[in-house]
Amino acid sequence: MPSAPVIAAVGCTKIASEHRDCNIRDLLADALLDLLADAGLDGLDAVEHGLASYESDHFNMQMTLGAILHDTIGMTPKPGVRIEGGGATGALALRTAWAHIQSGLCDSILVYGVEKNGRGLSSRTANQLFALSADVDWETAIGGTYTGFYAAMMRAHMAQYGTREEHFAHVAARNRRNAAFNPIAQKPMNISIEDVLRSRPVAEPYKLLDCSLLSDGAACILLASEAWAREHVPAFESRPPVFFTGTGCGTDTMRLGDRYPHITNFRAKQTAAQAAYAMAGIGDPLREIDVAELYDSYSGVEIQAVEDLGWVQRGEGGTAVAGGTFDLDGALPVNTSGGLLGRGAPVGATGILQAIEVAQQLWGLVDERRQVADAVRGLTDTHAGIASISVVNIFERRD
Amino acid sequence: MSDKVSSLIDITERDWSADDFWENFRQIERITLELSQRYHYSLGKQSRFFIELANRRFFATACAGCGQVYAPPRPLCPACLQPSEWRELTGEGSLETWSTLHFSPGTNADVAALQRPYVLAYVLLDGADTLFPHLLRAEGLCLRRGLRVRVAYNDGPVSHPIHLMCFVPA
Repeated sequence: MPSAPVIAAVGCTKIASEHRDCNIRDLLADALLDLLADAGLDGLDAVEHGLASYESDHFNMQMTLGAILHDTIGMTPKPGVRIEGGGATGALALRTAWAHIQSGLCDSILVYGVEKNGRGLSSRTANQLFALSADVDWETAIGGTYTGFYAAMMRAHMAQYGTREEHFAHVAARNRRNAAFNPIAQKPMNISIEDVLRSRPVAEPYKLLDCSLLSDGAACILLASEAWAREHVPAFESRPPVFFTGTGCGTDTMRLGDRYPHITNFRAKQTAAQAAYAMAGIGDPLREIDVAELYDSYSGVEIQAVEDLGWVQRGEGGTAVAGGTFDLDGALPVNTSGGLLGRGAPVGATGILQAIEVAQQLWGLVDERRQVADAVRGLTDTHAGIASISVVNIFERRD
Repeated sequence: MSDKVSSLIDITERDWSADDFWENFRQIERITLELSQRYHYSLGKQSRFFIELANRRFFATACAGCGQVYAPPRPLCPACLQPSEWRELTGEGSLETWSTLHFSPGTNADVAALQRPYVLAYVLLDGADTLFPHLLRAEGLCLRRGLRVRVAYNDGPVSHPIHLMCFVPA
């Protein structure tokens, strides 16, 4: 297999509850301009392939959006493809781009993710649309919501392992505090665990501040072979190369109930992580990974993730999280960007934003208040639904 | 689909930099669009489950190959890729996990009419190997894992036949 692709350049918009002056094409344009500035490029002439990453046709009342986005940024007549995998869309897009490079199909591919999930629709309509991404015959029809499915999982985790509301409130408070050091973050908040516990219930045991955000935003990554990046991207030589060394994907049944008795954790994430570690040559992830962006769609999900990624024993995630292991000054800082809770979650861009945070951490380019010193390996964890699809991607700086 | 002009967004008060890349595009208009669809939606090979609810009977499927009993039913056993058989259950079972929902997506008329908060419950029905998700009407009751519950039927009318049933304490 050829050597791993590199992250040649990155770009994104600020993440916001609403970019009122942008439609979805404008958002992509702004992210692309940011990428060109990052790359030191004035155009995309040399880039061989495009890959559109967005989740919802409904939010924009526009199908075939991938073709429109490709057209918007002047990628025609080059090849393009659209990838969709629910919440995992952005990470699945990067994984697909990895395969495009590794297969030799192309040496460079622009992955562009975008979503307008913010206030273009009422939150009621947005929730109705998101509910359509559950099993409509059995889960959506009864009035189920994703917050409810996640909450039922967390209740099972609490019953099985003694995980407490204070444990996941720690995640909600920490990630929003981390967001204060990220200029693109949607909703930094200086809040305490008590603030989270006192916020109004949404789907018990989850409360308002345990829930992530609806966002507008876009993000792009130019993925390429190392040789292509050296030849075509002026900025590439100015920073240590970051390689995309591992990618894993796992799946699970759509409905939580069909996973019985495995309802406390994400099997798909365990599968994805093991595959990614094997590919990246990682044997002891807690020691070998230096920084990570975890899919904190709800605060407790981060607790389940640190278990499923094999960093702590099953059932010990709550105490490890509350003990500070994953804080900025902990053994393995996670969600330094603020995560979905603080930075925001424009779905098709989310997995790409996670990879950008990791790349910039490995390059040493983020705000010093959230910079992890001398980070060499970083991981992104992204999933769809209640991890019906899970993707783990691993990046490594090689000086 | 209909549309009407809704608003012009005033972005002139923003602190624009002198070299604003988009200086020729500062006027923004936002319109309101509506889109509604009516689906003639087939419940497919799951249909008997819903049809029998009106007869106050609860059916799962069982795989002749591996013996797994699925509730909700699966016409095709995903493990064996063989056609399943219908199997009637008593409709009694025990509560495994749940969430109390304070916000409703108003997915259909039945859901929109629910009094909030309502309980989304996962029930292990006697004789089944999977958890069945549905509403649990247990006002005032302290819920706990293992609580015995049963299917309660109603005669409708409902907008979606899944609402011909819910769970209640046994």
